Amino acid sequence: MSNPVGLALTILALPLLASVLAYLMRGTARTARLAHLPLVVGCGTAAALALYLLTTMLDGTAERVSEPVAWFAAGKLRAHFTVTVDALAAIMLGMVTFIATLIAIFSSGYMKGDAGFARFFAVMSLFVFCMCGLVLANNLLLLVAFWEGVGLCSYLLVGYYFDKPSAAAAARKAFLVTRLGDVGLILGVFVIWHACLPGMSPDVPFNPLNLSELFGYVVRHPEIHSQVGLGCFLLFCGAVGKSAQFPLYVWLPDAMEGPTPVSALIHAATMVTAGVYLLARCAPLFAVAPGVQIAVAWIGGVTALLAAFIALAQTDLKRILAYSTVSQLGFMFLALGTSGAISPAFAVGAAMFHLFTHAFFKALLFLSAGSVMHAMGGVIDVRQFGGLRRVLPVTHVAFLCGALALAGFPLLSGFWSKDLILESLTEASESGSPYTAGYFALFLVACLTALLTAFYTFRAYFLTFWGPERIPHEAGHHAHESPTSMTLPLLVLAAGALAVGIVLQPFTHWFTDLLETTPSLAIARGPTPARVVAHHLNWVLIGVSTVLALGGIGLAFALYRNGGADKAPAGLDAVFAASRNKLWVDELYHAVFVKPAEVLAFLARVFDGFLDGLARLISSAPRALGAWARPIQNGLVQFYALSMALGVAVFLTFVVFRISR
Amino acid sequence: MTDPALISTFKGVFRLAAPEIALIGTACVVFLFGCLCNRRWLWFTVSLLGVVLAAVLAGTVKTEMPAVVTAAPLIPDAAAGFVRWVALVTAFVLLFVAWGETDRTNAAEYYACLLVSAAGVSLVGRANDLVTLFLSLELLSIPTYVLLYLPARTKLNQEAAAKYFLLSVLSSAVMLFGFSYLYGLTGSLNLAVIADALAKAHADAVNPMALVGAVLVLAAVGFRITAVPFHFYAPDVYEGGPAGVVAQLAFLPKLAGFVALARVFGLFGPDPRALPFDSSTQVPLLLWIVAVLTMTLGNVLALLQDNVRRMLAYSGVAHGGYMLMGIVIACSLPDAKAAPGIGGIDALLVYLVAYGMMTVGAFAVILYLSTPDRPVETVDDLAGAGQSHPLSAAALAVFLFSMIGLPLTAGFAGKLLLFVGALTAPGDSPAMRNLYLWMAVIAAVNAAVGAYYYLRVVGVMFLRTPLRPLGRSKAVPTFLAAVALAGGTLFFGVYPEPIRKAAQKAAPVPAVPAKADAK
Repeated sequence: MSNPVGLALTILALPLLASVLAYLMRGTARTARLAHLPLVVGCGTAAALALYLLTTMLDGTAERVSEPVAWFAAGKLRAHFTVTVDALAAIMLGMVTFIATLIAIFSSGYMKGDAGFARFFAVMSLFVFCMCGLVLANNLLLLVAFWEGVGLCSYLLVGYYFDKPSAAAAARKAFLVTRLGDVGLILGVFVIWHACLPGMSPDVPFNPLNLSELFGYVVRHPEIHSQVGLGCFLLFCGAVGKSAQFPLYVWLPDAMEGPTPVSALIHAATMVTAGVYLLARCAPLFAVAPGVQIAVAWIGGVTALLAAFIALAQTDLKRILAYSTVSQLGFMFLALGTSGAISPAFAVGAAMFHLFTHAFFKALLFLSAGSVMHAMGGVIDVRQFGGLRRVLPVTHVAFLCGALALAGFPLLSGFWSKDLILESLTEASESGSPYTAGYFALFLVACLTALLTAFYTFRAYFLTFWGPERIPHEAGHHAHESPTSMTLPLLVLAAGALAVGIVLQPFTHWFTDLLETTPSLAIARGPTPARVVAHHLNWVLIGVSTVLALGGIGLAFALYRNGGADKAPAGLDAVFAASRNKLWVDELYHAVFVKPAEVLAFLARVFDGFLDGLARLISSAPRALGAWARPIQNGLVQFYALSMALGVAVFLTFVVFRISR
Repeated sequence: MTDPALISTFKGVFRLAAPEIALIGTACVVFLFGCLCNRRWLWFTVSLLGVVLAAVLAGTVKTEMPAVVTAAPLIPDAAAGFVRWVALVTAFVLLFVAWGETDRTNAAEYYACLLVSAAGVSLVGRANDLVTLFLSLELLSIPTYVLLYLPARTKLNQEAAAKYFLLSVLSSAVMLFGFSYLYGLTGSLNLAVIADALAKAHADAVNPMALVGAVLVLAAVGFRITAVPFHFYAPDVYEGGPAGVVAQLAFLPKLAGFVALARVFGLFGPDPRALPFDSSTQVPLLLWIVAVLTMTLGNVLALLQDNVRRMLAYSGVAHGGYMLMGIVIACSLPDAKAAPGIGGIDALLVYLVAYGMMTVGAFAVILYLSTPDRPVETVDDLAGAGQSHPLSAAALAVFLFSMIGLPLTAGFAGKLLLFVGALTAPGDSPAMRNLYLWMAVIAAVNAAVGAYYYLRVVGVMFLRTPLRPLGRSKAVPTFLAAVALAGGTLFFGVYPEPIRKAAQKAAPVPAVPAKADAK
């Protein structure tokens, strides 16, 4: 068991087992009520094992790659089932299983009494399984398989209330939009595989689909870097879809239609972090393609600003949080985009650290929002309630912790990780990269986004918990704090949101030190003339981000401490209207993509109708033949006897005629 | 009659028929004492013991080939052994199936008739002369008339029994007529002698009188294997007859019919390369036409049926057509240039076993699901069976999948062998050319058409909710038989090797083709 690969495979197996168990427990009402236990126990055990795995990583053990097991092979293409266990994977595993365990505990209270209780936990477990598999995969095709698995589970969970048309539509949208990116991912895998074809020969056991072999080969062969760059760009398309980046971010806010714990899982631990993880894992490939890197950074920056802007005037609490996720993911891509200009280990470290802290406070925020929704009888519109801080004291504290962390309030976890990203941007703008001006512009974008983040987060906070107490009539007369099974995870996550940043990074550097033991990051450092950045406290940056965070919070306090969600700062009405309407991006997509697609679909349906008609015509032939032959079966025994006699006569005639010819 | 070899041949006959004697002896006991005390469980047990005794005898009594094969009425060759075991197992299963429709008024007669029928089928497999063959076939038919009438309560039952009786008698007459031609031409009743004489005679010029005999035999056998145009009775009888009897009627006569046809046409002979009716006699072409017509008509008419028994009847007709392919392929052996992998008869035997399992099983499920106040007649009557009777519905689904020929069912193994046999049959004989290929294509199209009506039943069972829920049946043995047959269908679908080996032993493919030797 102390063998890291064995540990990792055990961690992988536990959620799968939980999924099967939960599905089997669907059978009877008595077992179905207990269907949350497999996930809570299995995932909890997995989290404990992942923590143990992390401690084995601490003593500097190198990457462990499992023995490849042939999955399938076709010609030169060999797909192996093989996992890699390194610091990057171990951190992700620990984060995913830990957060998922807390969310599972929360869901057991939140989903109580729901008709699809067991189904919910079966799919949740499968979701965690797919994510763990994606994290561990050492083979690109295996990674794609788990990637699609994650997509499938998100489809099933977002569309959990499948009898609600909006939920079904949101699930479809999530699936189709991420599918656009997935096409890029698969193409990227094959472009990279194709680029490495010259390295394959019968006597060299080199399999370019295995990541651990691929990275070294790509770094050693500069002649294929342009092809790899194309492949990287396509991989990035996959990440854009899955991690909800501009222009494919539109599915994530709609994914709120799923149960709230699902949103927490998608936003914090599983789905959307997959894209960030993909880029972090493939850092050696991206390091040889600086052109793609600046594109990554720009996409991240545009997304961060755009989503923060849209979040300004939203009135749906979960939607505000959703846009904030999109925005924070943009931050992570910003950091990833600087890798190459600065040392990849620093850039990836910044992105992964933000992902890590974000998982805590975003899960916390979503679960708190879920708790609010639970108490408000399903209402989530901030215009309909207010002043809840006395009705929901625990939720209020939890939400406040999460909001402070998200806003980047000094000394909390979000503050330190955002700081690291800003620092990677300033360092990149001073590096020897050809895109220094771009990185500086992106630094300014990031600062503006940080200000907006603090503002919209606290707008949501003040609208929900401050001002006069207002409770919608859907909540009835018994609006009350949620049960312990729901508040307990909130408190654990709140502690994480407060402390995890300051403990792990700014003074101890535990997080980045551990991450830097990842072999692929060492490979990535190899060929690039990157600027090596030491971890230190940059007091100027700390000052700037403190001012930004406090400024945003102060603005929100001034405007919204007494409620009034529709209020806009003087002179900015038009801006807020644009934000409220999400910059009309959905409408634009509808006009530019959906409408033409509908016309195409209509034409296809006409053609399909034609083909159908043809097929029906062919298939009606046997029926017509039967209908024609049917009257012979007239039920008269004398006719049957006659037909037998006639049959003999015809047979005889036939044979005699044939032989005498 | 003084030749000692001849005397030992005749004396050995009883040894060769020991299991059949045991079956009929048991039947006599049951008939006799059934009048005194008609208890279902008693006669069920006795009959079961009779079958077990027959099986023990079949396994233990040592037999050897008679000294004078040309005079022996029975021969214990590998094919005979195969047919006997299939008959015994079928009788065993049918005893269980029959539980659902026997009662204290008819149990003894029912079980006894079943045993006699099984003995008849078993004897058809080893008959070596025309008289024995005819008597064995009658031994199968006559109890069936009784069985059809035994539980006959309604007009529909009686009509079915009467129709079957009249047409069966007619076909027996036609068969005797055909046998008389064969006897008249060769002067012998012995099948080996007849086959040999005709093969020699046809080497020079085709004898039209022999063809008349062959056509008459084919017509008579066609009734038993429900070949077009002798199939008309099948839908009416299957619809009206008691389900357990119909299960037997759908399988045993087909088994006996195909074996009899193969015997008379010399396809089980020691050397099937010299056939009495090879392709120059046009009989294979006639068989081809009958096979294609039978499978096509059976399928297109089954498409239109709403009554599930009529549907199964027409599907049985279609399966008869598929199995006729085996005979057609076997008739191609004299034209083979290289040793074929599949001789036709072996594929036919595998298909027969698969067909027996799925057909008897399907009728067993219908019998089990039917209760007097809630009979299963139409396809819609099965609606909701997937929920109320999940195991029975699953078993019926397995049988239907097997009838379609889906992989992992026994029906697939049978279809695969027949289709491969048709595809590998020689395509350059002057009379047949590439008709074998066309036969395979037509059969494949038919199989696709068939899938529609079988899947319709599966869909109704699992996706529809019933207007009136199915009743609760108490015929546990019937249910057990259905489940066992479903298990067998799946087992031989996954691992068809045992049946295939046994079938190949029963009907070995000649290693070296005849024409190549001659050149």
